[in-house]
Amino acid sequence: MFLHNFKYSLKTLFRSKMLLFWTFAFPIILGTFFNMAFSDIENNEKLDIIDIAIIDNEEFENNQMFKEAFETLGDESNDDRIFNIKYTDIEEAKKLLDDEEITGYVLLEEDHNNITVKSNGINETILRYVVDEIQSKKEIVMTLMRSDIAEIMDGAEAKLNNISNKNLSYTMIEYYTLIAMACLYGSMISMFITNYKLANMNSVGKRTAVSPIHKGKMLVGSLFASYVVSLIGIAILFVYTIFVLKVDFGNNLALVILLACVGSLAGLSMGVAVATLIKAGENAKTGILVAVTMFGCFLSGMMGITMKYIIDKNVPILNMINPASMITDGFYSLYYYDTLERYYFNIASLLIFSAVMILVSYRGLRRQKYDSI
Amino acid sequence: MTVFKTFWKVVKKYKGTIILYTVMLIVFGGINMATGDNQIDFVDSKPDVLIVNQDEEKGITENLINYIEDNCNIIDLEQDEEAINDALFYRDVNYVIYIPKGYRKDVLDGKNPELDIKSTGDYQASLAEMMLSRYVETQNVYVKGLENEADIIKAINDNFSKKTSVEMISKLDTGKTGKATLYFNFASYSIMAVVIFIICLVLSSFHEKTVNKRTIISSINYKTHNRLILSASFAYSVIVWALFLIVGMILLGDIMLTTRGLVYMLNSFVFTFCSLTIALFISTLVNDKNAVSGIVNVVALGSAFLCGAFVPAEWLPDTVLKIAHVLPAYWYINSNDLLESIEVIDMTTLKPIFVNMAVIIGFSALFIVVNNIVSRMKQKVG
Amino acid sequence: MDNVIEVKNLTKEYKNLKAIDDLSFEVKEGEILGLLGPNGSGKSTTINCILSLLNFQNGSIKIFGEEMRPDSYDTKSKIGVIFQEVAVFEELTVYDNIDYFCGLYVRDKQIRKKYVEEAIELVGIEEFKKFYPKQLSGGLLRRLNIACGIAHKPKLIFLDEPTVAVDPQSRNNILDGIKKLRDDGATIVYTTHYMEEVEIICDRIIILDKGKILAQGTSDELKKNAKIEEKITVEVAGMEEDNIETIRQFENVENVSFDSNVLIVTYKKGENNLGELIDYLRNNKIKYDKIFSERPTLNDVFLELTGKELRD
Repeated sequence: MFLHNFKYSLKTLFRSKMLLFWTFAFPIILGTFFNMAFSDIENNEKLDIIDIAIIDNEEFENNQMFKEAFETLGDESNDDRIFNIKYTDIEEAKKLLDDEEITGYVLLEEDHNNITVKSNGINETILRYVVDEIQSKKEIVMTLMRSDIAEIMDGAEAKLNNISNKNLSYTMIEYYTLIAMACLYGSMISMFITNYKLANMNSVGKRTAVSPIHKGKMLVGSLFASYVVSLIGIAILFVYTIFVLKVDFGNNLALVILLACVGSLAGLSMGVAVATLIKAGENAKTGILVAVTMFGCFLSGMMGITMKYIIDKNVPILNMINPASMITDGFYSLYYYDTLERYYFNIASLLIFSAVMILVSYRGLRRQKYDSI
Repeated sequence: MTVFKTFWKVVKKYKGTIILYTVMLIVFGGINMATGDNQIDFVDSKPDVLIVNQDEEKGITENLINYIEDNCNIIDLEQDEEAINDALFYRDVNYVIYIPKGYRKDVLDGKNPELDIKSTGDYQASLAEMMLSRYVETQNVYVKGLENEADIIKAINDNFSKKTSVEMISKLDTGKTGKATLYFNFASYSIMAVVIFIICLVLSSFHEKTVNKRTIISSINYKTHNRLILSASFAYSVIVWALFLIVGMILLGDIMLTTRGLVYMLNSFVFTFCSLTIALFISTLVNDKNAVSGIVNVVALGSAFLCGAFVPAEWLPDTVLKIAHVLPAYWYINSNDLLESIEVIDMTTLKPIFVNMAVIIGFSALFIVVNNIVSRMKQKVG
Repeated sequence: MDNVIEVKNLTKEYKNLKAIDDLSFEVKEGEILGLLGPNGSGKSTTINCILSLLNFQNGSIKIFGEEMRPDSYDTKSKIGVIFQEVAVFEELTVYDNIDYFCGLYVRDKQIRKKYVEEAIELVGIEEFKKFYPKQLSGGLLRRLNIACGIAHKPKLIFLDEPTVAVDPQSRNNILDGIKKLRDDGATIVYTTHYMEEVEIICDRIIILDKGKILAQGTSDELKKNAKIEEKITVEVAGMEEDNIETIRQFENVENVSFDSNVLIVTYKKGENNLGELIDYLRNNKIKYDKIFSERPTLNDVFLELTGKELRD
């Protein structure tokens, strides 16, 4: 009986175009959108070469230190260069600034330096810092008045040791929410298949209810089929995200797979709960599942990654009951952390979530007689 | 009147969807409200920095902390490694500085001790690192050159007190306009989703074969009937637009009452109208309610992602932006982005915005024409 | 003959409605029992209670001598049900649908294959095996619905209005099929509000209204119980009120009605009534055209008992 139900549930599911669209195609389409939208973000946040102008007046010509410093900072053969410098007169510089060709221009005057920019911003601040720095070096040389100053300054460089975790690419969170969404969309599959077994929801359910087979036995075969289908969908999505979109899931593939399986289980149980607890048409149930999933993904950062952090920091309880967030956080902890406590906490949360969902639908599933159908 | 009433009854059935997208817009808008304050004189950008100090907060160490505090936003966090790592990953902190035990002594001994740092590697972090390097370098030089700790500190602070003066020529407070632009950009997604989704669902109810037949044989003129449905759809779109404007006014405040605010509104109205024409077109193409939700999500999310509703357009790859030119949302968002930084609103500065609006209206006209052609072809076949 | 079903004092109430009111009846082995009643009379509710799908307040139900419960799987395996709604998987072909439902009863694949083919033949949808339900017309869909319910060769079959909205060809096909099932030894409970069907195929009829039995028996018995025995319909050019009154006074007349040139006279007893009426019309120079005399139909019986037309 298990195989009979399993086989026909598979047949049914693979014929259902809408389900396949949502669970197989949609995550891939969305992932492609993510890739188009996010592929440049993190590069954009790296320090770019800043376009500036320097007014090439007499003061600048005479200020050896400035001249040398800017020459190095703007030298195209220098890998650490931060500026792309135009040496012009003031009229030209003003025009360049107006046209937003440059971030700002530097004007050296007899007793002080002047920077003109258009607005506040990081590039503007960096420009000022560099000018400050050159000026301050000049002053050090002047105040200390020592013959070995060059030597001292050479040995004074700050020693910084970067100990941050290597995997810092936060756009990965987007793809993790995508996997979370795909796992939870599995709920549509299980909802669809469970509906067919409920006499008070569906006419086919009535037919199966009068058959001489225990409902539980039928349900196990069908739900297993729905689990298999959603796992196939997830597997395709993984292949696509890893090999085409180059998403980094960390190094522990076995744990990644475990998380996907448990996440799908959470989706499956959510679908069963909605199928049994909510008396509405199939479309309405699908609508509820889509809405719950999308809102869950929104809270776990799909439409803006900071959302997840804000919730984690301020209303952590919300993300502890949100399965989308548990899945996302699970992948995050695998990617970013070396230790696994947080990962297992998420796995446990997902299992608890699934158990609760199954528990609340248990009564509805067990029912065989109804007050009205 | 019956047609109108029925239209609203069907719309009511889908109020959950409308509420969902509105709540998302409010949450998104509300969160952006919480950040950012602005002046019209130049202020340095301050990276978000966290200091973990294991040394005594005295002398050299204290001065380093004071310096960082003056030039960066100090983020206050539980000093627990996991919280710090999370904060770093989500860019709540750009740079973390660990001051080791005995740092003051080691510096004074001329050892130039190593500092552990954590960095997000973005430009904010680069700026923080520039500040820190420069400070440490200066400190090391003065430690070599001077004997007394107090003198060293004084020398460092004197050196840093001189700042290059910066003149800022723009007097526009981009903080507020930036918020408005963020809000309206995100609203493009909500507008598209709510308008297209609901109208397609409602119209597919009307277009459903049996219902449609019943309408055709009823005493009401079919053309009148269609016109009524069109005006009901239009009325619905206007209500959605007004709803999002009210939400916007609550979130954004007085900027909505300026000329700039009016242009934002006008722009969003044109865009809402265009969404309506897209909705009508899609509803002619597809009558299957299930297919509608799939198509709407792909269309709305696709145009939101590709045109810069979620991610600012300036951060999108050039190829993506080129593709986005074929989507109405691109022109809408482009206008919002322009509105953010226009200083003086007059006919010359608004010209590109009006051009964008014309493009959107052109798109709408295109959808209407194609819609008519397709529906005529469908009538002949079916 | 044994009783296949025994229903005793069955009462089912919804919140504010008594759907079944102290209902008792039996179904005998090998018969086709017709449950006849207007819409909302409790036919489907009765069947759902018998099948243990619905809770009920009072009463007992026995099938094949055993108390019927949701887990009476042995009993259930002998039952086939065709519900009012078409209950099939949209996503499965005609063949797969029948095979799935049959598979819930019959494990052996070889036997099942034979059964499924036989069911397909019985309802006459051989050409549509590979079709999906969406591609079938209403009549064919109903036939598929029936095939799904009876493929496992049940001993007891419930058919809940299987011919609603079905074209005449499909309908004949369905009725033939039902007779064939009975001939093969199945007991059948059949609900409908189509009078002709009941007259054609049912051995015994129960008329239900508001959850109560109004009458039961064979078609002839029911008609005998009725107050009227003959009904004469005459097309006349025109009649005065006086004439109608006079006819009303004739012996055995139960009722007279005249509407748009059609005179209908019903009689309690049926002898010489026609001659008397024709004589009267001729004597009074009332022009008449066609005359029909008929025994009352079940419809008349039904109308008399419930005051409602059967058809909606």
